Amino acid sequence: MAEQILQINHLSKSFGSNPVLRDIDFTVSKGDVISIIGASGSGKSTLLRCVNLLETPSSGEILYHGKNVLGRGTNPAEYRAHVGMVFQSFNLFNNMTVLENCVVGQVKVLKRDREAARVHAMEYLEKVGMAPYIKAKPRQISGGQKQRVAIARAMAMDPEVLLFDEPTSALDPEMVGEVLNVMRNLAESGMTMLVVTHEMAFARDVSKQVVYMNNGVICEQGSPAELFGNPQKQETKDFLSRFRG
Amino acid sequence: MNKFAQLGADIAKLWTKYSGAYISGIENTLILALIGTVIGCLIGFICGVLNTIPYSRSDHPVKRFFLKLIRVIIRIYVEVFRGTPMVLQAVFLFYGLPYFTDNAVKFTSVWAAAIVVVSINTGAYMAESVRGGIISVDPGQTEGAKAIGMTHVQTMTSVILPQALRNIMPQIGNNFIINVKDTSVMFIIGFPDFFAAHRATVGASYLYFPSATVEMVGYLTMTLLASFLLRWVEKRLDGAGSYELVQTDQLTMTAGTYNHPDRGTPFDERSKEYGQTGKEER
Repeated sequence: MAEQILQINHLSKSFGSNPVLRDIDFTVSKGDVISIIGASGSGKSTLLRCVNLLETPSSGEILYHGKNVLGRGTNPAEYRAHVGMVFQSFNLFNNMTVLENCVVGQVKVLKRDREAARVHAMEYLEKVGMAPYIKAKPRQISGGQKQRVAIARAMAMDPEVLLFDEPTSALDPEMVGEVLNVMRNLAESGMTMLVVTHEMAFARDVSKQVVYMNNGVICEQGSPAELFGNPQKQETKDFLSRFRG
Repeated sequence: MNKFAQLGADIAKLWTKYSGAYISGIENTLILALIGTVIGCLIGFICGVLNTIPYSRSDHPVKRFFLKLIRVIIRIYVEVFRGTPMVLQAVFLFYGLPYFTDNAVKFTSVWAAAIVVVSINTGAYMAESVRGGIISVDPGQTEGAKAIGMTHVQTMTSVILPQALRNIMPQIGNNFIINVKDTSVMFIIGFPDFFAAHRATVGASYLYFPSATVEMVGYLTMTLLASFLLRWVEKRLDGAGSYELVQTDQLTMTAGTYNHPDRGTPFDERSKEYGQTGKEER
């Protein structure tokens, strides 16, 4: 049994009187690659944003190495430094070049030496194939390139878990592949990943576990073979049949 | 036509006699406007940042109380100083302080008084502009910064304020130009600015219109130069329109653009057939 990184217990979230997540339980262990699938509005992204404390859950707990990060006296910023996030809309810092984007967090948050941070950032920028573009500003590169930089930026912080919030949904179809390739390589290198996605092929081929969400609850979860090959619940069957077309 | 010749002759006469007064007036006006705008911007930035500190229902009541109090104070400051003429504020401060404290507290130099009044005034206008500038930065930028573990202060200084500054650059320019002109009201407390030079010269020469012409041309030149300079600064802030590719290795150009073939096809590296047939073809 691999070391447990995150344990989510009875997590609920409502916006006003509207419940978005209800009693969510799941764990993330080292080396897991978990895909969260489900229809729009099923609460996938909210779940991910709760895990990163970008949204404050209404109730429940998030244990990070056994310590509840929702309790008083915990520092969200410190916790977030260990949990990387890649957004649908990239969210690269527009006032910085590609390289600075990957360096600033290491220097400001991890207090690394600027030169060491640069070398470390270059390592990941090369992995995602963006090393030639380090002098470009985010507005000068394409969506797929931006997302690859965003992945390098998150990875340069050496996170324990990397969260992906629909990383390819805002991309033109021909750019989806380049981002998925980078993610596939990351998964193969043993990175712990939690991916909210509409890319069924990715969920099936790359992830080790698939979570299907419906109406704010985890409807079904299991290995890709189980969930795609032999779904148990009617909702899951209906959802998957829409993708098979 | 000879009216213009007359005007030219009068201006020449004024200039030979009083050019020193005009030039030192221009200097003082520019220095006051510049210092006032810079300090005013600082005040505006501080107010804008304080005004945008987020708080939610789940925060501690004391923190919420203080944040609300700060917002109320800033609101009052902005409304009072934006809503009264600068010329009156100058009088109020310059004569009000010694009046209330029996001369114990007063401005010993008109420079200090003028700088304080212009700065506070600019700050009141800038507070709102900065708030707008901060709000106009995409919320995704804040999320991106938070997601890598930055604190509120780090997010502000590294990510949001540099972008807000670019957004409000035209406003800062506007304020500087307004200050160049509006510091002319500081003659009321005896500040030796460009307009004060006009009052002094016409008092001695009675050449009202020629001196006013000199003033008009002088102010217009200053403001035109200022707008030109600001455009240039804005361009510098935007950075180059193009970027250089950093080429370390020919292959890096294509890295990441390559799509993995589907599993099981002969072109997949993971497939057994790949080594035999795929390589020669590629």
